[in-house]
Amino acid sequence: MSETAMIRCENLTKIYNPGPNEIRALDNVSFGIEDGEFIAIVGASGSGKSTLMNMLGGLDQPTTGTVRIAGASLSEMSGKELAQFRNATIGFVFQQFQLLAKKSALQNTQLPLIYRRPREPNMDARARESLTRVGLGDRVGHKPTQLSGGQQQRVAIARALVGNPKLLLADEPTGALDSVTSEDVMSLLKDLNRQGLTVIIITHDHEVAAVADRVVTFKDGQILSDVDARASTAQRESV
Amino acid sequence: MPGFSTISLALSSLIEHPLRSFLTSLGVMLGVAAVYFMLAIGEGSKREILEQLNKIETRSMFVFPDRSRRGRSSNQRERAPFSEDNIIQIRNISGVYSATGSLTKTVTAVNEYSDWSTSLNGIDLDYLKGNELDIVMGEPITAADMERRETVVVIGQTVLGTLFRGDDPIGQRIKIDNIPFTVKGVISALTSTSFRGDDVDNIILIPRTTARNRIFGGNDLVRDYVNGINVVGTSLEVIPRIEREIDEILRQSRNLSPNDAPDYRIFSRSADRQQSARSQQILSIFLAVAGSVVLLVGGVGLMNIMLVSVTERTREIGLRIALGARQFDILFQFLIEAVVISFLSGLMGLGLAHIIAHFATPFLPDDMNILFSPDVALLAVSTSLVVGVVFGFLPARRAAQLNPIEALRHE
Repeated sequence: MSETAMIRCENLTKIYNPGPNEIRALDNVSFGIEDGEFIAIVGASGSGKSTLMNMLGGLDQPTTGTVRIAGASLSEMSGKELAQFRNATIGFVFQQFQLLAKKSALQNTQLPLIYRRPREPNMDARARESLTRVGLGDRVGHKPTQLSGGQQQRVAIARALVGNPKLLLADEPTGALDSVTSEDVMSLLKDLNRQGLTVIIITHDHEVAAVADRVVTFKDGQILSDVDARASTAQRESV
Repeated sequence: MPGFSTISLALSSLIEHPLRSFLTSLGVMLGVAAVYFMLAIGEGSKREILEQLNKIETRSMFVFPDRSRRGRSSNQRERAPFSEDNIIQIRNISGVYSATGSLTKTVTAVNEYSDWSTSLNGIDLDYLKGNELDIVMGEPITAADMERRETVVVIGQTVLGTLFRGDDPIGQRIKIDNIPFTVKGVISALTSTSFRGDDVDNIILIPRTTARNRIFGGNDLVRDYVNGINVVGTSLEVIPRIEREIDEILRQSRNLSPNDAPDYRIFSRSADRQQSARSQQILSIFLAVAGSVVLLVGGVGLMNIMLVSVTERTREIGLRIALGARQFDILFQFLIEAVVISFLSGLMGLGLAHIIAHFATPFLPDDMNILFSPDVALLAVSTSLVVGVVFGFLPARRAAQLNPIEALRHE
């Protein structure tokens, strides 16, 4: 874990319900993520992986410990700065896509740019570009209901990319998709990673996790294992 | 988020939920229509009252003997009504436009059609002008009539109607207390509002000289004296003061101390005026309260729907926060949405009020005027904006304070 790591989590603890019945969602977790990595965070539900993702995305604050992303400590940011951080640094992809049903693919994709400071002058062009990047350049006017599940998730990925984030945070991105479209979406994420984007996916599906270069497994709020998947694959192949 | 894009966002949200937007707007629309309508009625009756008050009738006072209270003096002259000196003194009070004396008596006027009890006024030349009476048919009483004590009469509209029933009265004869008079002219209708409940148009005017000589019998008692003084003020405001000064003048000339009951009465419409001002005030308060209640109900309806909308769109709010919206952006978005609904409802309310007014006017009482003016419209629309801000704030704040993690999980 180098000092210049893109993400550094140190002694992260998150306690819900402080008191005798407290729940330690994260228990003294420390780790780092380098620029350009493709990481899968896996674990059963309640293992703390979603809590971790919310913290990395600036949606939640740890009870103790620090998260530093691209040199900035999230716990020291004001609400306004956190909003700006989410907008400019993070691209979110959700399990349920979270598209606005009455808006077109283009309008959905533009959404983060509405909150961009300073104002983004070419919202339209950038959203089109982003949709083209995920292979939906010919679907800009479609509403979510007119698109397949896989296409909807692509729109959501386009929306995550439109603000040019440093980090893509995907929470169960294939959780609502069948296996064929899952592979599609995963290979799209892989492509994006190859183009230099740091990608973190949260999943309980080990097949999905296998696409990642590094798999961090959580259990009971702690890191159970942290495996370089490429190395282990290479090992297995060499056996 | 810049204001314009927020407004277009709010508008598109309204268009996406047309039925809900319409139902929401209904309450505020009716509220604003009620407020606008009521303000307009208030404005109309204010105008009506002002017009009434500026009419000469409301600036008029009438001084007459109070027969129930004869003076203490047994001296006939002192107990007599009012002298020329009294009139001149009253005329010199500042704010008095005119003061004209007359000999008045209730008489019976008779012609071949009918006999009719009416109020006879023996008048001076300045009476018509002083009381702003116009001759609409025939001619007025002239100096020559005065001089020669002619038995000529100018009649009011009621007398015209009852004795002549549409015939040309000029040159016709009527008998007043059995003395034949020739009708010389007709005066215009006075106000429809009555004087002490009497019909003010039930009046006939003859030269004072003739009245003194023929009707009142020409005795010493009435020489140089009149039993009625018409006083007209220059404006309404001065009437109560003039009334007090007339009282002082008459008390002095009659040697009455301030504690003595006077043997005369001064009738003015200032009491009426106060009464109508009070009714106006009560009406305004009532309208304001009623309008506020309707607006309040509309506002609560708006707030309710906005809260529903916030709940319905919890995931959208969570998403927007995750994508970088600040609390203020969310607050502003929902506040603007409430204000836009409320403002559009207000505009529709104005239209509704005009439509209602169009159909309701024939059924309104005559003295109820609806006066729509830009000022009133502006005021009514402003209230709709205020309602939007006040009742939109709580739902907007609730939206802005949502926890994005929970909001995103909301079903």
